[in-house]
Amino acid sequence: MNNILLDNTLPQVFLQRTDIRSDIWRKQVTFERGKTYLIEAASGTGKSSLCSFIIGYRKDFDGSIRFDGKDSRGLKTADWVKLRQHHISMLFQELRLFPELTAMENVEIKNSLTHFKLRKEIEGWFEALGIADKMQSPVRLMSFGQQQRVAMIRALVQPFDFLLADEPISHLDEANSRAMADVLTGEARRQGAGIIITSIGKHMELPYDKSFCL
Amino acid sequence: MRLVWKLLRRHISLPQFAGFFFANLLGMMIVLLSLQFYSDVKPVFSEEDGFIRPDYLILSKRISSLNAIGLGSVSTFSDKEMDELRAQPFAKRVGAFTASQYKVSCSMGISGVAQFGTEMFFESVPDAFVDVDLKKWHFREGDDVVPIILPRTYLAIYNFGFAQSQNLPKISEGIVGMVEMTIAMRGNGRNEYIKGRVIGFSTRLNTILVPESFIRWSNARYAPEADIEPSRIILEVGNPADDAIVNYINEKGYEMEDDKLDAGRMTFFLRLTAGIVMLVGLLISLLSFYILMLSIYLLVEKNTEKMRTLLLIGYSPARVALPYQLLTIGMNAAVLLLAMGGLCLLRSLYMEQLWRVFPKMSDGSILPAVLLGIVLFAIVSIVNAIIIRHRINQIWKN
Repeated sequence: MNNILLDNTLPQVFLQRTDIRSDIWRKQVTFERGKTYLIEAASGTGKSSLCSFIIGYRKDFDGSIRFDGKDSRGLKTADWVKLRQHHISMLFQELRLFPELTAMENVEIKNSLTHFKLRKEIEGWFEALGIADKMQSPVRLMSFGQQQRVAMIRALVQPFDFLLADEPISHLDEANSRAMADVLTGEARRQGAGIIITSIGKHMELPYDKSFCL
Repeated sequence: MRLVWKLLRRHISLPQFAGFFFANLLGMMIVLLSLQFYSDVKPVFSEEDGFIRPDYLILSKRISSLNAIGLGSVSTFSDKEMDELRAQPFAKRVGAFTASQYKVSCSMGISGVAQFGTEMFFESVPDAFVDVDLKKWHFREGDDVVPIILPRTYLAIYNFGFAQSQNLPKISEGIVGMVEMTIAMRGNGRNEYIKGRVIGFSTRLNTILVPESFIRWSNARYAPEADIEPSRIILEVGNPADDAIVNYINEKGYEMEDDKLDAGRMTFFLRLTAGIVMLVGLLISLLSFYILMLSIYLLVEKNTEKMRTLLLIGYSPARVALPYQLLTIGMNAAVLLLAMGGLCLLRSLYMEQLWRVFPKMSDGSILPAVLLGIVLFAIVSIVNAIIIRHRINQIWKN
């Protein structure tokens, strides 16, 4: 997949509103593979909705979203499964980790879909993000910041053309968010993928190609 | 898969699943056992080589007190009644008993020495119904010997009753064949003699039987005026266990020579009972199936968020549904195997009893029950799998 086009897209809950001033809603926006984007937003402007629309979790929007020109509404279940496994990886704001599994198991449950990464590489990331000692701990016993890093690693153990990170560093300090940025950009570059990051304030320091205000 | 299972097995309620398991086991056992028992016992009543072989039935009309004094309905079968009987789907062949309408007496002796004499009668049925070697079974006008078939019970009565008490020698069927009978026939102003020879014994026909051609000839000769409507009918049926026979005979007020049709009645009740029991088993199975589906729904409900996350990180609905599908199929398979085992065990117990009563009973096979079990297993498992998948699809669509 080489590009994602938001064509006149708008969450249906905003349909009645006339005061929308946004770089994304009701506009034509293209995200291209290999480039890095930042979407800054205030709370309640539909940031997580946007992510849900792109990943196919929600369909309550107006306008259309196109992957390489193909309307996302025309995708079948199998197409979405393929898209989520091979083309778009997502780091959820609410993380969506499985609390009863260990950190490593949370990553493996995803890696087992495509067997994309070797255990060694995964362990390297745990190391790089400073949570190597937590690999075998149940996720529910970890802090939110630590969980955020586990979720990051989980988002990376698949082939992707775009990485969608919804507030990836909300609970991380400077050093950790820099480590996270390194891991993320490293893997995205290796795959030649595009990065789309959303933020409501503190954002990851990356060489963004373009910033949007939602 | 291991991890997915680790995730989704959470909230599995052991009591609920155990409830399903045993209820389903009970239902399955009842269904299989009732079918198996039915198919094991049925041959006793209806199969060719069964110990009761009622494929020939002998019908007569009920003799009431009114008949006895010459009133009431006639006790013979009219042509119309015969035709009607012939038209019944269960009737393969219908034959009439024709009785001699003149006086017959017979004296017997070995090698010309007369021993004793008696008044008697003859009857005939169409040759096809006669169950002895038919080579000697013919009579043409002008023949001086008429072949006779006696009921086998006569010989038994003589040998074990009469001969024993009178110190007379017991005789075999072969010896009886050597006995020469002189038969006197009187009627229509004639008084004539013919020789008779016993050529066999019949277990089926409880009468003194001569060839049909002889009866026709002799009735015309000695009693040309007589009305020869038959009072008894022999009926060959395809399946003696057919309920339709009993119903028809009761409806017409006919009487059976003996209780052979009890087999038919018993098969009917056997089928009815087996049917009811099987229905109860199916009902229990259905309820257990319902319990399982409720448990699965509850389980899916409790694990909905996890399943949604699995779907969002790239798991397909089929893969998310698989653990629960395998779980139910596994349980159904375990139920099937246990039910089969239980069936074999119980069957060996009751078969032992049955063999004691009916030693000739064939071994039979458990194939019908096994097939039914597999079919039930397949249906239940497929429906389970479809419902689970359907539920996951709903989660996919939110």
